[in-house]
Amino acid sequence: MSAAVAAREPRWKRWTRPTLVRRLLLGQVATLALLWSVLVGLFLVEAFNQDLYGATDAYDAVLSVAENLADRPTLQHASLQALDVALREAYGDKNEPAMAPSVLVWQAGRLVYKSDGVPDTIRNSRLDTLERLFVEGRYWRASTRQSPLSDTRVALVTPSDRKQLIVTFNSRGYYLMPLIISIPFLLLPAWLSIRLALRPWREVSTEIAARGPKDLTPLGFEARHAELRPLVESVNALMQRLSESAARERNFIADAAHELRTPIAAIRINVEALQAQHRLTEHQGELLSGVLRSIDRATRLVGQLLRLMRSSADMDVGPNEKLALDELLQDRLATLSGLAQARGVELELVTTERDLRVLGAREGLTSMVDNLVENATKYSPPAGVVTVRLAREADQAVLTVSDQGPGIDAALRERVFDRFFRTPDQLQTGSGLGLAIVKSVVEKHGGQIALGVAEGGGSGLQVTVRLPLAQG
Amino acid sequence: MKILLVEDDLDLGNGIRVALRDEDMEVVWVRRIEEATRALQSGTCDLVLLDLGLPDGDGLGLLMQMRRERHKTPVLILSARDALDDRLNGLDSGADDYLVKPFVLAELLSRVRALVRRSYGFDDGTVEVRGLTLHEPTRRVRVRSAPVALSRSEFELLSLLMRRVDRVITRRVLEEQLVPGGMVNESNVLEVHISNLRRKIGDGYIRTVRGVGYVIDQAEQPLTARP
Repeated sequence: MSAAVAAREPRWKRWTRPTLVRRLLLGQVATLALLWSVLVGLFLVEAFNQDLYGATDAYDAVLSVAENLADRPTLQHASLQALDVALREAYGDKNEPAMAPSVLVWQAGRLVYKSDGVPDTIRNSRLDTLERLFVEGRYWRASTRQSPLSDTRVALVTPSDRKQLIVTFNSRGYYLMPLIISIPFLLLPAWLSIRLALRPWREVSTEIAARGPKDLTPLGFEARHAELRPLVESVNALMQRLSESAARERNFIADAAHELRTPIAAIRINVEALQAQHRLTEHQGELLSGVLRSIDRATRLVGQLLRLMRSSADMDVGPNEKLALDELLQDRLATLSGLAQARGVELELVTTERDLRVLGAREGLTSMVDNLVENATKYSPPAGVVTVRLAREADQAVLTVSDQGPGIDAALRERVFDRFFRTPDQLQTGSGLGLAIVKSVVEKHGGQIALGVAEGGGSGLQVTVRLPLAQG
Repeated sequence: MKILLVEDDLDLGNGIRVALRDEDMEVVWVRRIEEATRALQSGTCDLVLLDLGLPDGDGLGLLMQMRRERHKTPVLILSARDALDDRLNGLDSGADDYLVKPFVLAELLSRVRALVRRSYGFDDGTVEVRGLTLHEPTRRVRVRSAPVALSRSEFELLSLLMRRVDRVITRRVLEEQLVPGGMVNESNVLEVHISNLRRKIGDGYIRTVRGVGYVIDQAEQPLTARP
């Protein structure tokens, strides 16, 4: 059923349906990505704050050069420039010169050196503090230190805007690349391992999905995994409870039906003894016949209930015996011919082949034959003939039962298989269970049943049952 | 004809008693195994009608005990259980017949008579249906006292049909009787024998149920069976 629904769904919809595998996969990847992001974030923050501004040595170097060469401005400028280049090389990125740290040096409040491309108006408000400054339309990060010996101040400055963030990301790609590269590579092994780990689970669900609606036998799957064992055990316990309760219900109905038989037999024998009295008036006789008819009906209902219970008990075992249909038919018709004889109906059996064997349940097939023949006999006109045919078609045994009765309207032919359904203009007594039993037996044996009109021009009913022949 | 009825249900027991008495049979009705055992020991009866579920035990137990003690009285089981296993179990335990409740009075009477006839067969061996008599020990058959000469196979077939009067004997059983263990496939050996038999004993005895088997009816049939 669910497979049919899935087939009707558009393809994309199947991908949006939640699966455990996808959930696990997403969970894994998301956790991994989060972990990576945190790590990368930490690296970036460190790169921002620590690398440059914690670099006391760099400040010291610039300060000492500026101080020592204070009296020789040309040499000072050249030395500072050389230091600047060295700093850029040490801390910056060769590919992104704009992002490299710039140096500004003041002596006695006068700017003595400035890297290219840095506005000369940059001033930290406090010393030894990393500040974010807005100068000439851009953000800068800058920290200024003063020499303890003189009034020489050195500021290291890097641009600090969004572009710089992206550039940093780019330049620090070696943190991100493994993540970006590894995600697709992680997906496949993760998916594989999850599939692998979930295989027992799939086996269980396949087995559960594959069972028939009435199959109450315990699961054959042997759960070795701690997660699955409770599931399998409770499914099995449920199955057992269900089958026990079904068996209890069956036994109850069967017991009730058996118990009913004795009082029915008592009513019957008493009425018949009464009928045998010769002093009865015609009217009394008529009334007693009515009682007998009702007894017949109750008898049949009880019998059908028992057959129904037996055939559903059979269902638990299933067809398990190689039965020769022709022999079974001969035996059953021999027994049923008494009833037919009493009604003035002739039974005949036409078998074209001997030893047609089907894999079957004896009780089930017996009640199938009994029901079909009893029905046909019941609806036959006096002196009518009920013909039972057994033939072979390819790998099927074909059993037909035809009568010369009124038949069944085409419109009602499906409904007569329902339990307790009886055709509206019914004159005969019946339980309405007969064909329901027949159908359940036929289905259990993997066969088909069809109702049609008997050959020979009349309106009679012909029931055709096809059963697969036993192999070998 | 004296019949021991073992049935614990009051209304059913009484009904059977009355119905059999109306047919001029003498009925001793008991409701417990214990009483039944006593009745069996104290006197002879021609037939036991045995219900299986009794208040002080299982009727099958009584039956098996009877057979152990070589009690040859025929036993007809009356039971509400009609599953194949139940029937086979009953017959295997030594019952001569098995009738499922509720039954039609006529059928009960017919089976009772057949069983009693058979039990008389132990000293007499004569079966009689509408003027046709068959004497088992001497293998003599007479139609309205005129002797009929039958072949061995014909006699076996007739004997089988007459001993189980009113019941259809399947072709398979009859064929098995003719050719024990052999296959009678694709032949009409059975038809030939039956047709010979009919010619000798006259029409109107053996009725054909086409494709199924043959039967000899106790009562004359309104329908003339097709050959």
